This record gives sequence, C-alpha cells and structure tokens, in this order.
Amino acid sequence: MSLRSEHSRRSILAGMGIAAVGLTFGLEGCSKEKTAVAGGEEAKLNFYTWDTYIGKTTLSDFRTKTGIDVNMSLFATNDELFAKLKAGNPGFDVIVPSNEFVQRMSQADMLMPLDHAKIPNFKNVEPAFVNPEFDPGRKWSMPYTWLVLGIGYRKSKVQGVPDSWKFLFDSDQYKGRIALLSESADVMRLGARYLGHSVNGLDQATIDQVTAMLIKQKPNIKAFHEDNGQDMLLAGDVDLVLEYNGDIAQIMTEDPDIDFVVPKEGSLLNSDCLCIPKGAPRPNNAHAFINFLLDGKVGAEIAETISYPTPNAAARALMPDSYRNNPVIFPSGVGFDKSEFGKFEGAAQQSAFETAMTKIRAA
Amino acid sequence: MSGEGWRQERKTLLATLGPPLFWLSLFFLVPLAVVWAYSFGRNVGLTEIEISGTFANYAQAIQPLYLGIFFKSMLMAAACTVICLIAGFPVALAITFAPDKAKAWLLLAVMLPFWTNLLIRTYALIAVLRNEGYINLTLGWVWKQVGLVLNVPPFVPLEMLHNNPAVLFGLVYVHLPFMVLPLYAALDRLDRSLIEASLDLGAGHFRTMMLVVVPLALPGILSGVLITFIPALGAYLTPDLLGGPDSQMIANVIERQFKRANDWPFGAALSFLLLYLTFVMVAVQALIQRRRGAR
Amino acid sequence: MSRPADDDGVLASEIADAQLGPAEVSAAIATARPRRNTPGPLDYLQRWPLRLWLVIVGLFLYVPLITLMAFSFNDSKRNIVWRGFTTDWYVKALTDSSLLEAFGNSLSIAALSTIVSVILGALAAVALWRFDFRSKAAFEGAMAMPIVIPEICMGVAMLVFFARIMPWPQDLIWPFNLGPIVIAHISFSFPFVAVVVRARLASFDRAQEEAARDLGATDAQAFRDVLIPHLKPSLIAGALLAFTLSLDDFVITFFTAGPDTITFPVKVYSMVRFSVTPEVNAASTLLIVLTVLLTVVALRFQNPKEVAGA
Repeated sequence: MSLRSEHSRRSILAGMGIAAVGLTFGLEGCSKEKTAVAGGEEAKLNFYTWDTYIGKTTLSDFRTKTGIDVNMSLFATNDELFAKLKAGNPGFDVIVPSNEFVQRMSQADMLMPLDHAKIPNFKNVEPAFVNPEFDPGRKWSMPYTWLVLGIGYRKSKVQGVPDSWKFLFDSDQYKGRIALLSESADVMRLGARYLGHSVNGLDQATIDQVTAMLIKQKPNIKAFHEDNGQDMLLAGDVDLVLEYNGDIAQIMTEDPDIDFVVPKEGSLLNSDCLCIPKGAPRPNNAHAFINFLLDGKVGAEIAETISYPTPNAAARALMPDSYRNNPVIFPSGVGFDKSEFGKFEGAAQQSAFETAMTKIRAA
Repeated sequence: MSGEGWRQERKTLLATLGPPLFWLSLFFLVPLAVVWAYSFGRNVGLTEIEISGTFANYAQAIQPLYLGIFFKSMLMAAACTVICLIAGFPVALAITFAPDKAKAWLLLAVMLPFWTNLLIRTYALIAVLRNEGYINLTLGWVWKQVGLVLNVPPFVPLEMLHNNPAVLFGLVYVHLPFMVLPLYAALDRLDRSLIEASLDLGAGHFRTMMLVVVPLALPGILSGVLITFIPALGAYLTPDLLGGPDSQMIANVIERQFKRANDWPFGAALSFLLLYLTFVMVAVQALIQRRRGAR
Repeated sequence: MSRPADDDGVLASEIADAQLGPAEVSAAIATARPRRNTPGPLDYLQRWPLRLWLVIVGLFLYVPLITLMAFSFNDSKRNIVWRGFTTDWYVKALTDSSLLEAFGNSLSIAALSTIVSVILGALAAVALWRFDFRSKAAFEGAMAMPIVIPEICMGVAMLVFFARIMPWPQDLIWPFNLGPIVIAHISFSFPFVAVVVRARLASFDRAQEEAARDLGATDAQAFRDVLIPHLKPSLIAGALLAFTLSLDDFVITFFTAGPDTITFPVKVYSMVRFSVTPEVNAASTLLIVLTVLLTVVALRFQNPKEVAGA
C-alpha cells in the first residue's frame, strides 16, 4: 500500500478499523471458488484500460490461446487511473497509463518492474520506442499506442492550412471558432512551445507569460473541451480544435471536409503503455497478456479496430496501405520532427499548471 | 413532549435515531474524517500525505481567485434554484391535484428523464442546443418559410451553447426533480378546505396561491431549495460540457485538484470550505423554520 | 388510493381504502373536517395556464430524451447527423455482456440502496421531528453533510475508507462484491430522503397520534397506523430520489468499484472518450424502458389499489 501516513494517524485509523474488520471477516466465506491453472495463478486477469482500445476479438483470442479470462474495466483519464490506484491496487493486473503517468507512477513506486524474458515480442517494437526518455530501458512499460497533438480543422472554413499554434493561441482570425483541450499541462506546454520555449522545463515566468497570452485570447475561444473536440468539429460547433491525431483520423472517415496538421513549431507526443501495477494478484498472467498484445497479428487487429498509430513494427507491416501510409495517423514534416514527449516534472509543476488554468478560466 | 412514559419514549428515540446515527457515523463520518485530516496536511512525494496540522491549504483556498469562483458558483446555483422553484411549483401543484390514479404516473413522468445517465442527458442537451442542433434547425426551417413570403435576411443560428446561459439551462434541466419531489411531498393532501375557504371569501386564484398555498408549502419549499441549491453548487459536468471558456464552477476546481493536480490536501480544503459555508446556511434555515414554529 | 367523487362517500371510502386500524379510524374521525370535492375551483388541472405550463415543462424535459432515443436508431457511429434507420445498436448493446452486467449491477445497487435509504431516512426524519435531544443540532448538521460534500471529495473518502480502514475482500460472489458501492450510495442517499420526509412531517397533526394513543395504541402501532400513511407521499418521493441518485452516480461509484464491479454510469463515462456512439443511446433507452417496467411491476405487485401512492 502506497498511501503511507504518520504513525499517530495510522493508529487512529487502525482503531477505527477494528469495528470494520469484524464486518468484513464474515464476508470472506462468500468468496468465489478459485480455479487454479499452471503457474499457480487462477485463470483470470483484471485489465484496466480505456474504452474501445482493444481489437474486436483480442480478448477471446487470448482466452482460446491461454485459457485466461480477461476481465476488462475502463477509466476515462490518466488522472482517474492514478487517483484510483493511489490508495492501493484494488486488484488490477494490467493497466494502460500514458507516458507521463508511467514516469509518475514509477516514481511513486506504484508499478512492478517488467521481466523482459517473459515478453519476447518486445522485438516487434519500433526502434524509436525501445528506449524512450520517460522509461529508459523499458523497465516499467511496454508501448501500446502513440499519439501526437495538433490542430483538427474544417477545410472549407479555414484559409489554407493552419500550420501554426498562432491560430489557436494568439490570433482573432477565427474568433469564436476555436476549442482547446482542457488539459492544463498540454495547453501550457504548447503555449510555451509557440512562444519559443521547450515543452519541458517551463519556469514560472514562462507559465505566467502563457497565462497572460491565453487570457488575452480567451474572448476568441469558444470552449475548453474534455477530449471531445472531434465531436465539436464534426458537428460544426467550431472550426479549429486542439486534438490528438487518432481522434481526428476517426472522424475524417465520416467527413472529408476535415483535416489535421501538426503545427510547424512542434508539438507534444503521447504514448499509452502497458504496465503491471504493484500488488497485481496475477503477474504471470499479466506478462503473458502483455506479450500477447505485442504480437504482430494481434497488434494489427487492434490497430484495425481503433485506427490509432501503433508502435509495433510487425503489426504496422501487416496493415493495409490506407493505414500504414495515412498522413494523419503517421504524420511527418517539420512540426512532427520537432515534437517531444512531455516529461513528468514533479507535483509542484503540475499544481502550477493547474493554478494557471484556473486563473485563465476565472479571468 | 409529555413527561409520562419517558422510558418508552427513550426506547422509541433509540429505535428511530439509532440506525441512521450508526450508519452515518461508520460509513460517512469516519471516511470523511480522513479527508478532513488531509485538509490540514501536505503532500510528501506523489502518494503520501503528511497530516502536519497546517492551515496553508485553507490560506490558499481563501485567495481572491478561489473566492471569486465560489461567489460565481453561488450565483449560478441560486439562479438555478429560483428557476427550478418557479418551473417546479406548478408541476408539483398539478400532481397534487391530479386524480389519485394519475399521480404515480405523473411522478414517474417527472423522474423518467433522470433515469438516463447524467452524461448522456447532457450530450442530448448538446444535440438539441448546438449550432446545427434541433432548435436551430427548426428555427431555420420556420425562417425559410417566412422568407418565402417576406424579404428577410438569411438565418443566423442562435448561439445557445458554450456560454453561461447554457450552463444555467443545463443546471435547471438536471435539478428540476430535486425541487418537484419535496414540493409534492409537502403539498400532497393539503387541506383543500383552506383553499376553498379562501376562494369563497373572494380571493383570486393567484392571491390564494400566494397567501394560502405557499405558506402551507413552505417546509417543502425550504427543503426543495436546500436539496436543489446545494447539488447545483456542486455541479461539475454541466459547466464542463455546456460552458464556455469562463464557465468553471467551484466543483470543477475541486475535481481538478483531486485528479489532475493530484493535490488532495488542497482539494479537501476547498471541499470543506464549501461544507463550512453550507453549515451556516443550514443553520439559517433551521432558524427560519424554528421561528415559524414548524416542527 | 382511489377516491370516489361523491361527497358523502369520501370519509368512508378513505377509511376502507387505507385499511385503517381502529386507532386511526377514531383519529381520523376526530380530526376530519367536512370536505367537499366538487370539481369546480380546485381542478387546477383543467385550467389552461397550468396546462400550458405543464406542456412547456414536459417539452423541456422530454425533447432531449426523445432525441436521445431517436438517435439510438441512427445508422452512423456518431450522434450528430442522421444517416438512416437501424436497430444494429440494440443488437450490439444486448450482446455486449459487460454492458448487461453493468445494467444488472446498477439496478441491483439502486434497488438495495433505495430500500435501506428510505428506512434510514424516514427514521432519521422522525427522530429529528419528534424528539428534542442533546446534540440534536449536531446530528442535523451531520445529516446535511452528505448532501453538501462535493462528490469527488466523498469519492476519495470512500476510496481511502475501503482501501485502508475497512478493506473489502476481493472476488466475493454477487451481491456481496457490490457491498462498498451500495454502502456508499446509502450514505449519500438517505439524507436526501430524510429532508423530504421531514418536510412532510411538518404538516402532520400531532392530535391524530395523540388520539390514537389515548385510545390505547402503542408507540409502534401509532407509528404504523397513523404516521406511516401520512408519510407515504414523501416516502415515495424519497424513494424516487434515492433510486435516481444511485442509478446516476458516477464519481462515488468509480472510487468504490473494484475490478469486478462495473456499473452503467462508470461504463458510460469511460465510453465517451471516443465520443458518444448510438450504442450508448441504445443502452440508455434500454435502461429507461427496463426501469419503467420494473417500477410499474413493483407498483402493481405492491397493491393495485395503491398505485397512486397517495
């Protein structure tokens, strides 16, 4: 359990818990019968992930192959995942945090180190993802998908290609037609990037500078969206949104008037990863499952369903050309080349981002 | 309370007070006490909270930045409560005066929209209100028909989303039953002879409502105001999804502290500030009720 | 309770309908005032301003709901543009075993939580109304807290509680695995019931209870035969509130749910990262229909005469 506290408070908690123990003790008798398989673990796995983030038959294929039953639960944001596991792991075996949270959770001692000997399919991973800065040597995580932030826009309502953050952060050209992501860290980092700084290592002066810029820009912004920017764009509520390439790629199949660009200043990369949380009841099954997901064919089936970029070279090779060479799913160009992963820089920095965002919204 | 049979009274008191008190203490006050302790603590590393007895979180919480958001949220919640009262009172009255058989169905009809998920309901509201939503499509169609006869400028869709009125609209939509139910519960089976007497004595319907029915319904109105205002103050999803860039309410800020900022002590301090504030309001309500002699 | 329209029959039929004990009969007679039920001035439902108002409020409540239901038949992955009629989403929802499990869990939790909440809430309201005890104000304040406390704060409190103070065993059989969620739901629902019941108690005529007691009824009898019938509208209103609160709760459920206990709101909230698909609409429509059916059955089953619940 990771939520440690002072001794004095712990004894109070223990005291309060005495009554509770009596209540829970009686419940132990109601446990399910456990069926053990080889390896000493029951044939079950609790998988905690995002919705529609798995292939149509992936889980049943895994069951056929190994006899392990995957029980999938869903979370909607990394913050939820972190908050939920903060007081202790309630029984999850495999989780899917993003890069920044891999870093955060490993620092917080919430993850179990991976045993690479049990994950031979690691060889399928693209070289760029083998040794990332947020997890040197892939000690804690295996890559599952990756994404890049950019501008999704409606071609008929926008002049040319809006290939600069200027159009979102510092211009009244599209007044009232702009929606930004409400994620404070992303907005602050990209604002800093536009102003010529790196996306990492923002000092307070830079944060204040970005805050001032966005307060000035606020009358031109229609809304801060909760990662549903693609819906707003598709419905015609706005014409420019700050969104992930995967989300825009999905709606482009429905509306040819929509396109996506990674601005020339450079952007933020993001990668969702497979991890085993500390205290996972079935680590052997968890390793088997992670290895299975990194298989080329399995990866291709997943990519086909979710149409997000895959870091799995073997899987990408198996995909049709429309996916493999899709310029939105796999962007290229000057902006993409300058994009970086956002680092986790400590709780104080996170709080500073959050305060700045609260200020912007309250102004 | 009569002095006789106090032993029996005592047993009754224990029987009625005991179970809720036990439940509240074990399953609410104990968990909450932990978070209350957090509000006097500070973050150590990423997952640990040290209860150091500091007031720093409260000091941060009463900065003008957060007090301003508090104040704005209260205005929104108050406006929502007033609109709910105005919209809900006639509905509660109608249910009260409906034939007995229809009552259950009317109540069901009021509650039915709320058995869909709040998030889905909010998305449904968005579908109705957005620029290319149903209201605008309907207005556009009407405008076009008018245009066939008269010379009118082209239709400009009404901007009904992503601003503060949209948030207010959404709040009313979400909280209306919280007002209707207590009003109905208080009004049902009210003594009709009082109304008749008032009407017989020549008072109009409106005057009768204001002078006879409203005072009778006052406990219901107060409880309705209480359980509409407070949850409206705690709304976070509605401002998030329907609001514009400046439509944050205090619950949004609190939510972000617990989640994104991972600052539980500060989130706890903001929450408890809200709690202390409400205690004052509940006390005021109790005072009003006591003065009215209602028990 | 159905009440005949003829004036003289009111009292008699009321007594018959309510299956009153002797205590209440006398009490009712003692307090009954002559009453007319002529449909004239009091039939507010017949008046057009009120009718118009009801229509407006009805539209307000139902237009979004109807669009939601309509789009569950939309032949597109999104809820924005109509692309033709299909029932595929229902097939998809009905064959999605995790969704059905979430349904089952949500309805069970709501039912269990409603029953306990109504009992606890009514008891608390009666205790607060009937007795003056030391620290009554403190109890009143404590009862207001679950209503006031922001959901997220209570969610975190419950998370810590079930993780550290009262660890709930994993892998329990249904319905014990729902324990933490049900407990948390009761904690935030029953104060709402208490508020509603208490408002109703304000209109209770103590003379009735005293009359019953003068005629030899015990406390328990007076409670059952006099007080409960009076409280019935508020019990129903409170039950509806508790049910709705439980069925709709996401935040607190999220923090108390384990890997095996997914509920409908938790499922839906995580499903909308990739925007609301018509499958979610179809699932909500199914949930509404199912809930209404269950409610109707419950009301009928309880007593056909008391469907009105008044």
